Amino acid sequence: MNDLPCPILQCGVLHGAYHWIVFHAPHVTADALPGQFVHIRIGNSPEHILRRPFSISDADPDTGELTIVFKVVGAGTELLAKMKPGDKCDVMGPLGTHYWVPDDDVYPVIVAGGYGAASTLFLASCAPLPGIVFIGAKTKSDFILLDEYKELGWRVEVATDDGSRGYRGRVTDLMASFTKNFPANSMVYGCGPAPMLYDLVKKTDKIGIRCQVSMDQHMGCGVGACYACVIKVVDKDSPEGWRYSRSCKEGVVYPSEEVYCG
Amino acid sequence: MADLKVKLGPLSLKNPVMTASGTFGYGSEYEDFYPAKKLGAVVVKGIAPWPSNGNAAPRVAEVMGGMLNAIGLQGPGVDAFLTDKHYLPHLKETGATVIVNIWGKSPEDYALVAKRLEEEKNAIAAIEINVSCPNVKEGGLSFGTDPKTMAGVVAAVRKATTIPLITKLSPNVPRIADFAKAAQDAGSDILSLINTIPAMAIDVETRRPKIANVTGGMSGPAIKPVAIKLVYEASKAVSIPIIGMGGIMSGLDAIEFMLAGASAVAVGTAIFADPRAPLKIIDEINDYLNSHSIRSVRDIIGQVRID
Repeated sequence: MNDLPCPILQCGVLHGAYHWIVFHAPHVTADALPGQFVHIRIGNSPEHILRRPFSISDADPDTGELTIVFKVVGAGTELLAKMKPGDKCDVMGPLGTHYWVPDDDVYPVIVAGGYGAASTLFLASCAPLPGIVFIGAKTKSDFILLDEYKELGWRVEVATDDGSRGYRGRVTDLMASFTKNFPANSMVYGCGPAPMLYDLVKKTDKIGIRCQVSMDQHMGCGVGACYACVIKVVDKDSPEGWRYSRSCKEGVVYPSEEVYCG
Repeated sequence: MADLKVKLGPLSLKNPVMTASGTFGYGSEYEDFYPAKKLGAVVVKGIAPWPSNGNAAPRVAEVMGGMLNAIGLQGPGVDAFLTDKHYLPHLKETGATVIVNIWGKSPEDYALVAKRLEEEKNAIAAIEINVSCPNVKEGGLSFGTDPKTMAGVVAAVRKATTIPLITKLSPNVPRIADFAKAAQDAGSDILSLINTIPAMAIDVETRRPKIANVTGGMSGPAIKPVAIKLVYEASKAVSIPIIGMGGIMSGLDAIEFMLAGASAVAVGTAIFADPRAPLKIIDEINDYLNSHSIRSVRDIIGQVRID
């Protein structure tokens, strides 16, 4: 495991508050798998003492190029968005569990909310056969990476809360309206806000499709030492029926049957 | 290489840098980075008589110069700690110097854990009594804000074990000297301070507290001056050695604690920023000693100059 200072090779703005950065991080790309994350120290200031986790959007083991896509949501990401090629960050990873990468006899279905689409893009690029991706956003200006999925040959269906583009309503409802056409060997992959993921877990369970979701919480260490980033997972042995699981170590990707929705 | 060995009463350490409880898990989480035996000691996360869930999430928030946490002492309980391969059995294999932080809801709980740990007294260098966690409703800080109550816990643990005892003090008291003396008189071999400072942060958009427990404990470089003062005052009040902690980010921070009266230090929040922070701090202490022609780290303990 390394957390070496990694130079930024390229960076830019997708649109609005959405940015992308390519790091030279061969220690990460050597064995990164879709769904895993990197834990990045942004700058060296005691003002920003905690690292920030970012999903891996792409990792090329041949070139060592690691791509992350993020939205500016606070002081840390604001600082990261101002960095330039040549600037360095400590990049720790790859961390956490990964999506089970589909075989060529599995039909992959991605359901992403907001910038969750950044996490599942790596999966889409690793899948042997293209599938269908449902992406939800508040409004049409919040979509990212639609063209990237299309370039990989994926069918893209979109939903917005305000109806400004595509289906008006929840992306999980949009997905549910398609499920009768899914082949029996489908696997659903979810990444997005927690309410969306809990809804996805319930819907895929009811419909009877296998599903994996990427879930996390505010992180401290990123390696399972501090017990900050817990989510509830099913535990039949505990009196409550659940236990707290460290999303950085035992997650971030969980099979849907492990996620406690009670 | 300067001499970095320190002796804290019955506890001998190869160097004065240990991890603060709760920041280094149970010793295995960082082993991809470096072997735990390079540290002066590993202080594991709090152990109670029973497994405990801890608090709801979010459990951490960044604040200026530090962070808040309210983990709430999630842990496996003493049975699993002693027998499960993820905990003590694994730590024993690493050759690390192990200090076990303990907590409970009554003095009897603390004594029960200490008695169980006695079974592994050869593998446990010391027990740290947590009477200062601000994030649990029962136990923790409720024992640490009255000297008599705190002394009752320390005395109960003292009776239950022969393992060297460290009492971890809260900063949230009117006079630290009273607590330092009470712990010493009740049989504590060593003191450690400070635990986190009770604190709160609010998201002004959602108007919700930034951590689910509403309040938490503050740590990080912003609290260091508070900790230095309390270590200084405690060291004047007692004859037993002190482990200083609170916002240590560098070797010079560690030196500052030792000048104030600490015989060793613990690193916590800095590990989250840089997992290798404890090793860098050991190197930087050595560099300071060499550049000041000081032969042993022991020569700086309590050497602050006050006119």
